Amino acid sequence: MNGVPLAAYLALGLFMFTTGVVGVVIRRSPIVIFMCIELMLNAVNLTFLAFARYQFSTAPALAQNPELATSNSIMGGQMMVIFVMAVAAAEVAVGLGIIMAIFRLRQNIDVDELNLLKG
Amino acid sequence: MGENYSSIWLVILLPLIGFVLQAFAGPFLQAKFGKRLVGILAVVPVAAAFLLGAQLTMALAGRPEADRVLRVSGTSWIDIFGLSIPFEILVDPLAMTMVLIITGIGTLIHVYSTGYMAEEKDFSRFFAYMNLFIAAMLVLVLGGNLPMLFIGWEGVGLCSYLLIGFWYKDLANVKAANKAFIVNRVGDVSLMLAMFLITILVANSELAKDARLLSYDVMLPTLQKILASDPAMATAIGLLLFGGAVGKSAQFPLYVWLPDAMAGPTPVSALIHAATMVTSGVVLLNRMNIVFQLSPVASAVICAVGAFTALFAALIAFGQTDIKKVLAYSTVSQLGFMFIGCGAGAYSTGMFHVTTHAFFKALLFLGAGAVIHAMSHEQDMRHYGKLFKYLPVTGATMLVGWASISAFIPFVGGFSSKEAILGSALANSHAGQLSQIAGWTGLFVAALTAAYMTRMTWLTFFGDKERWRDIAPNAHHDHDHDHHGLEASHQPKEVPASMWFPLVVLAVFSVVLGAFLHADHRFDHWLYPQGLAVLGEVKEEYPNLLLLSLVAAIGGTVAGFLVYRNGLPKNQGWDLAKWSPLRRAEANQFGFDSMVTNVFVEGGAEVANGLNKGFGESIIDGAVEGSGTLAGKVGDIARKIQSGAVRTYALVMLIGVVGIIGYFVYVSSLGGGR
Repeated sequence: MNGVPLAAYLALGLFMFTTGVVGVVIRRSPIVIFMCIELMLNAVNLTFLAFARYQFSTAPALAQNPELATSNSIMGGQMMVIFVMAVAAAEVAVGLGIIMAIFRLRQNIDVDELNLLKG
Repeated sequence: MGENYSSIWLVILLPLIGFVLQAFAGPFLQAKFGKRLVGILAVVPVAAAFLLGAQLTMALAGRPEADRVLRVSGTSWIDIFGLSIPFEILVDPLAMTMVLIITGIGTLIHVYSTGYMAEEKDFSRFFAYMNLFIAAMLVLVLGGNLPMLFIGWEGVGLCSYLLIGFWYKDLANVKAANKAFIVNRVGDVSLMLAMFLITILVANSELAKDARLLSYDVMLPTLQKILASDPAMATAIGLLLFGGAVGKSAQFPLYVWLPDAMAGPTPVSALIHAATMVTSGVVLLNRMNIVFQLSPVASAVICAVGAFTALFAALIAFGQTDIKKVLAYSTVSQLGFMFIGCGAGAYSTGMFHVTTHAFFKALLFLGAGAVIHAMSHEQDMRHYGKLFKYLPVTGATMLVGWASISAFIPFVGGFSSKEAILGSALANSHAGQLSQIAGWTGLFVAALTAAYMTRMTWLTFFGDKERWRDIAPNAHHDHDHDHHGLEASHQPKEVPASMWFPLVVLAVFSVVLGAFLHADHRFDHWLYPQGLAVLGEVKEEYPNLLLLSLVAAIGGTVAGFLVYRNGLPKNQGWDLAKWSPLRRAEANQFGFDSMVTNVFVEGGAEVANGLNKGFGESIIDGAVEGSGTLAGKVGDIARKIQSGAVRTYALVMLIGVVGIIGYFVYVSSLGGGR
């Protein structure tokens, strides 16, 4: 694992995020849009984890002060990922519920048809 | 009894307590214990205030002449930086004179009212208003600063309004009450402007040593120093103060409310619209006399307005057939006399006439009330005649009142005060040539007064027949007020003791008071122990005035007697077409009232309508509705952005985020790209 450089993780994250963004913009099915949002969230998660992993590996601070590796500060990135996953789970629950409701109401879940907020 | 004058507060508080009692417990007491107790509870506070006031006046008279102005402090009221207006009382001869008039005549009229209003359902409401009026009037005269005077000024205006509209179920009474209230506002605005001007002057002068800027003991000396070097300002303040007096004291052109105020119960007319409230203008002029001493112009205006009002109202009185209307115009006319005196600089003669007039005019009004009471509430003199034999006490006291106001017996009734006014008007040069003209006009009006009072007396009590005997059964004449059931078979009965007793007391005072106060100029010295500077060099008596006054009064009386000795002349009967054009014009107030109504009421409505159409609906409404329409149009354009397509939103958001991130990247690259 040590052999994989930070830039590779970031590149994968960037690719996943871009895929997600493009998917949200171009697809019309809300299920797919949801998946693309998940993709973006996971891209961010991956970036967080990569930065967390590589945070102190080359820093002189860690070499001089090994306890830092087990202190709270070093777990910041991982903690953020836990939060994001929790929020994403909740969001999916709510979002799928909304989609179900819309489907029951209109028998159609094409997002381009959902323009009730048109001014 | 010593030097403690703080019991003066009780004089104001007693009627106020009476008011609270009547207002909150009155209906209950009336239902439970009857009207007798309610009446007693109404009379007692006023009588007690009179006794207390009399005692304090005696104590004040016992002090040395130069030391008769006392300040009784109370609690603070308005206290802000640089200005302090406390509740305080100024005890001085002027205030105490008015206190005696108000509470003394007030007591008699309260006693009279217990009889006059005996059949009234709202007995306690009437006395609640009356007691409140007495309290407000006492605040007006006793208050130690201008704002307190103003409280009283508005308080009596309110009570006047409430009492004119006492029988509020009749729309005409309500209209009369509103008219009185609204016309009085015109004068009140003028008085307020005068107060503001005085406040500004005194506050900016640095001469005042006390923050109580509007208290008389601080304000008057300061004002005297300021105005001595600024006659224009003295004239401005003088005219504004006089404007207030014109409203309250029913002078031309604001007199129009007083004749209509006769819609109220007769005791109210006697107390408020003859004896006390309408004289508060004269009290104000006396209180603020230093301003008028320094302004000959304002004094000349006062003389002119007073003389014109006296003449105008006396002429109108000839055209009236309602006994109370005659007395109302007579009051306006007599108030004009008082203002002639004040304008001529002889302020004490104005107060002198206030005092004598209060007694004989209250007497006349109460007598008229007794006649009305005995005649089933018929007020038209054309239905009266030969009433003397039915109403001997009322008739005799009314004759005393007639003699007092006509002033044809030397030193009886209003003779001395009227003569003092005319004498000072003719002899003084303070108001310039106008005061002489006013004096001669006054002399002529004195003759007119004697004539129209003789007309009223003879039409009511004497003549050739009892004219109500001619009323056809169920006939309706073409005049506007209904008969309340006066019928041809009506037998007038003398009024009860509670009503004739005040008449007798007032009659006695009417006769003796004038001569008593006039002897040795007792009243002038009492009010102004140092004399009036403005009268200093001028002789006060006009030669032969005594003779001239007598000739005028006797001439008027004889003329009136010759015309009316046989009762109602044919050309003054029910058929207005037979009236002479002059008398029709007089009955119509020379068209002045309808002119005021046309110009100010309906003209004002026209102007308001025009403004509404021309300015309101186009410009104001245009601006308001235009701004709404504009916002709508902008919204119509802006809402096109809201397509409702979620994916478009996401795309725009993406572009925005990219743009913001790009911007920060660009900025940080400029800073060295760390």
